Amino acid sequence: MVTHTRAPLRTDRLRALNVPRPVEVELDAHGFPFAIGEEGREKRIVEEILEAWRIDDEWWREPITRQYVEVALEGGGHVVLFEDLKAKQWFMQRP
Amino acid sequence: MLTQAGTAARGRRAAILSSELAVCLWIPLFPLRCEEQRRPELSGRPTALLSPSDTRRLWQISPTARRVGVRPGMTVSQAIGLCPTLTLCEPDPVHYDEQFTGLLLALNDLSPVIEPAELGRAFIGVDGLERLHGDPARQLRVIARVAGRAAALEQRSESTAKRSSRRSAGAARLGWGRGKFLSWVAATRAKPGNSVIVSDEERREFLSGQPVAVLPISSDTHRRLWQLGLKTLADVARLPQVALVSQFGAEGRTAWQLATGDVTDPVTGKERPEPITASLDFPTPAADRAMLAHTLNKLIERALAHPRRTGWRVHVVRARASLEHGASWMTEVTIRDPSANPARIAAPLMVRLENTPPTGAVERLTVEFVTFARGTDELQLFARDANAAARAGRRNALYAAAHEIQTRLKRPMLSHIIEVQPWSRIPERRYALIDFEP
Repeated sequence: MVTHTRAPLRTDRLRALNVPRPVEVELDAHGFPFAIGEEGREKRIVEEILEAWRIDDEWWREPITRQYVEVALEGGGHVVLFEDLKAKQWFMQRP
Repeated sequence: MLTQAGTAARGRRAAILSSELAVCLWIPLFPLRCEEQRRPELSGRPTALLSPSDTRRLWQISPTARRVGVRPGMTVSQAIGLCPTLTLCEPDPVHYDEQFTGLLLALNDLSPVIEPAELGRAFIGVDGLERLHGDPARQLRVIARVAGRAAALEQRSESTAKRSSRRSAGAARLGWGRGKFLSWVAATRAKPGNSVIVSDEERREFLSGQPVAVLPISSDTHRRLWQLGLKTLADVARLPQVALVSQFGAEGRTAWQLATGDVTDPVTGKERPEPITASLDFPTPAADRAMLAHTLNKLIERALAHPRRTGWRVHVVRARASLEHGASWMTEVTIRDPSANPARIAAPLMVRLENTPPTGAVERLTVEFVTFARGTDELQLFARDANAAARAGRRNALYAAAHEIQTRLKRPMLSHIIEVQPWSRIPERRYALIDFEP
């Protein structure tokens, strides 16, 4: 990461980083992901569930309700998956 | 009419060359050795280079100063307290980079696959060199000789050159093996002026005894490996790959693969750009010296602006003229310190124009950049050791590159990452991008 230049920060010029992208997730009997499918890519198998947590936040504007799972993938990937519990849609992003 | 001509390769990205068999050439404390080469009186005395980013602190320390307890990162006052005879030197990152570029150019004559890693460390691809130079031991001898000679080229007097050549050759450590990692580890195990060869059969045994400190992973991961009791590569290789991936993510995977010797990271070099030419046809033949000099300057600026030149400095430049009645004139100069500065490229051509001018009126004048050396900014921006690169003026190089991009494209195309809510459990809230405006 580059050292901060001390210039005044203009929040209107911030751009999002690590934006979650939608994925297809296959769940096992316990409701945990065991395979991830993404358009144009081969299906990837989840090797291990590392951590799981739930977020219920921002009820005062647009509520966020997500179930997160951090996983290690077969062959060496390390990603965070979450299910948007309102939209019933899975997303993937970097940890 | 000004024209720019290129070859069929115009606009094409430089091709990637690669080699599995690698030699790592490592000259520890390269900047300090450059200073000792420039000022031989420093040799053998306690010497320290100040940090380019903070001149109150020390960057590199000579072995003599280290023996009395002076360490990198110490403040100047602490160091003087420990060693009152310590000689302090202002850093000159551009000079170190020029010296390193000279070394890379010399190595390029041996192999087209050269990959600089940081100041003083480069990988040389040696696939196929056995037909030219023989077995690995002979290849290493040739490389050591070339490296020693390259360092000596910069010296003015012959006697100093001989001394310096011996000193540089003596400082270089060489490692030969399959892949960059193996050759680097081998170089770190070589004594100054010597080399270590690791054949494919010896690879696993050699790696298993090495400490985890040789792995190219973050200091935090090194610390965690150490805390988990993993001290050697054999300890790492014994674990299942998935265990390391779970703990350390992609770094864990890299560490495991390197420790087991299962992957080979080839040396990758870049093909040098094709020559770049810029020409001018005079409406009426010109003989006026001032006009020719002015045109040369304009042509140099035109050629420098060619997109293929980006990231490269000009090493050999040629000026050609078609004269009246079918005669011609040509001069070629090799720029000692390859440059992208129009004034430095023009200066030797102007001298030639003054001393051996065209013998008739010029109908067409052409400037041709014939060979190139890697750009300073590129070397430092892409150095593997981020700390060393920062100390060697990476920030200045980055600012210069950012300014150049903004001037050319009218808007900053570079961004930097800032922390927003690094503690957030929602990953996309932790960091954001913002325009980089130095």
